[in-house]
Amino acid sequence: MNELLLIVFSPLIAGFLAWLLRVKGVKEAVGIIGSLIPLILLIKAYPSLSQNNLTFTLNVAGFEVGFMLSRLSWVFSMIAAVVGFTAILGMASTAKDSYEWLFALMSLTGVLGVFTANDLITFFVFWEVMTFASFMMVFKFNRGASLKYFVLSIIGAYAMLVAIGIIYAKTGSITFADISTAFSKDAMSKMLGGSGIFTKTETMLIYGLFLLAFGVKAGMFPLHVWAPDAYSETNQSYTAMFSGVLSKAGVYGFILLYVLMYGKLIVEFGHFRSAPAFGYIIAFLGGLTIIVGGILAALQEDIRKLFAYSSISQIGYILVGIGVGTALSIEAAIYHAISHALFKGLFFLIVATIIYRTGKTEFKDFGGLAEKMPFTFAMAFIAILSLAGIPPLVGFASKWLIFEAVIHENLPILGGMVFFGSAIGFVYLIRFTYAVWFGQRPSDIENTKDAPLPLAIAMGILGTLNVIFGVAPGLVAQELNKLFGQQIIGGNIWELDLGFGRYNGLLLTIWMTIGLLIAAIVYFLGASVRKVPVTDTYQSGNPVTMEYNLTIRRNFFLPLKEAMAFWLRISFDKLYHDIWKSMEDFAETARNYIYNGNVQAYAWYLAIILIILAAMGV
Amino acid sequence: MISAYYFGAIALVLIGLYAVLVKKNLLKILIGLSIMETGVNLLLISIGYVSGRSAPILSEGITASKAVDPIPQALVLTAIVIGVATTAMALSVAIILYEKYGTLNIEEIRRLRG
Repeated sequence: MNELLLIVFSPLIAGFLAWLLRVKGVKEAVGIIGSLIPLILLIKAYPSLSQNNLTFTLNVAGFEVGFMLSRLSWVFSMIAAVVGFTAILGMASTAKDSYEWLFALMSLTGVLGVFTANDLITFFVFWEVMTFASFMMVFKFNRGASLKYFVLSIIGAYAMLVAIGIIYAKTGSITFADISTAFSKDAMSKMLGGSGIFTKTETMLIYGLFLLAFGVKAGMFPLHVWAPDAYSETNQSYTAMFSGVLSKAGVYGFILLYVLMYGKLIVEFGHFRSAPAFGYIIAFLGGLTIIVGGILAALQEDIRKLFAYSSISQIGYILVGIGVGTALSIEAAIYHAISHALFKGLFFLIVATIIYRTGKTEFKDFGGLAEKMPFTFAMAFIAILSLAGIPPLVGFASKWLIFEAVIHENLPILGGMVFFGSAIGFVYLIRFTYAVWFGQRPSDIENTKDAPLPLAIAMGILGTLNVIFGVAPGLVAQELNKLFGQQIIGGNIWELDLGFGRYNGLLLTIWMTIGLLIAAIVYFLGASVRKVPVTDTYQSGNPVTMEYNLTIRRNFFLPLKEAMAFWLRISFDKLYHDIWKSMEDFAETARNYIYNGNVQAYAWYLAIILIILAAMGV
Repeated sequence: MISAYYFGAIALVLIGLYAVLVKKNLLKILIGLSIMETGVNLLLISIGYVSGRSAPILSEGITASKAVDPIPQALVLTAIVIGVATTAMALSVAIILYEKYGTLNIEEIRRLRG
């Protein structure tokens, strides 16, 4: 039995068993074991990666389904396995029936298959397994959201299928290695003035189709509209995997684009400033994703929606990193993909805990939970610091790398977008911090208990990893260096050294700890505390009147919303809805005119078609 | 030069089609359908005709090589039966429509149906 096969299919088998058994306790155990097997096998497979890649080919009715575990796919599969395992663990508390176990585990199989696929058909098949399973998860909770997700995903999937078809028709091969060779040969002959197998138009078409396919999955602007609804309207433990891992499939796709057709795209598109032009398009859309996601996250009143938009915003950073296209920026992007999976997974598990314990989702119903849920609050604290990019957590290391990569390439617009995204990150996080954990506690959540054990363990795993990879950023960086086979980020496991800037996680931790100790000593020695009522809120020096009702729990960013009213009216969600609506209207009108119930009209159609056929000489 | 049989048969079909497309009276449309059907049957028969041969009934002096094509004749026999059956059913529908709406004008019926 091949290990790769077990890694990919054990969640699916466990999911089916859990679905068939339906016994409380047993199905949870089966599901958790099923998601643990890939994690263990991936760790076990790590030493053998240094010799050669693990491969496996499965023959299904004449089709060859190829899997390969390279270093790149190992990194992504590990993200999937770790976050997937914690999400499944969290589901032990939050899942209501075996249906959810089946599809959550099926989507884990899908995403592992996408990461380990060795040819485009396998990639596509598992891509669809992943889409289908996550659609079913959303479908159970909200039909509208699931349909929007499904329609956009299907558009993306068909775009990818067409692109695969063109590539296959031209090169006659579907394995990544062959396609990559074909494209680089093509680029070479193009540079020497020959006529390659792909024309410029075809290359652009393939690029555009892949951009659509991967952009939908990653939640890239303006294709992000499905994400907020789908992320918020499902089992929140599952969202940890949905947002943390499934969106990485799109990111992985963009990296695949580099692996397959980098040279060809450079030759056809040329450069824009210091970045390749095709990458700059991805990076610019990524930058817009950061801004749009960030601002919309700040304006949400629902805790789940806030993190859904924030997740979109963070994916933007990864796209910027990938788009800039230097070895350093791609490494930074993969680093941020890892840290995004870790902190966003943690965030959604925290949201799952809060909703599981209180049953409320809106900011106005929360407050003062830090006392009641100390462990969850500690985890939330780690996650907030990590997302906001405060050292010594993993979010800082990865964001810092992206900043450095963008600045080093001298791209001011992208730099501005990335910095803006970081600032807006604080804006929405401060809201989550204060509205949920501090302040007055509403009386109906007075008896809230702390997280249930499975969720607590899951959060603990992700929280610990957030801290470890933050204090020792080199652990990840050294591994990523091996992807490129050269030292791109220098330093040891505590320190990142780029040559023009360095960051030492351990040293910073020590200094911060000392600083905090001094502050604690000062506080306990002589701080005089004044009690302030919660309603004592001021805005620009003026007391806030009741008609505005600006507390941090309700309409806190109303002035921002009013200031941006014009821009907020431009909504892609509405645009797609309008397009869909007018298509429906058009079809309805056409139907009424053509299919009008008049038999004589149908006879006319027949006669006309017969005349046309006769004229064509059929 | 197109054979007179073909020409006549196709002309009948077109006359029937004209009635179906243009006439407003349901009975006239049904008459048109009947004419079309006759035209089609005649066309089928004339396709199977080989000049100078006799009916495909094997008897004295007539072998298989001296008969016209028997297949269109079998086809037409079936088609005639189907044609009569559909005409009978369409006529019964016409009777019901007249009882219900009091008119046989198809546009009037469509308007009354709403």
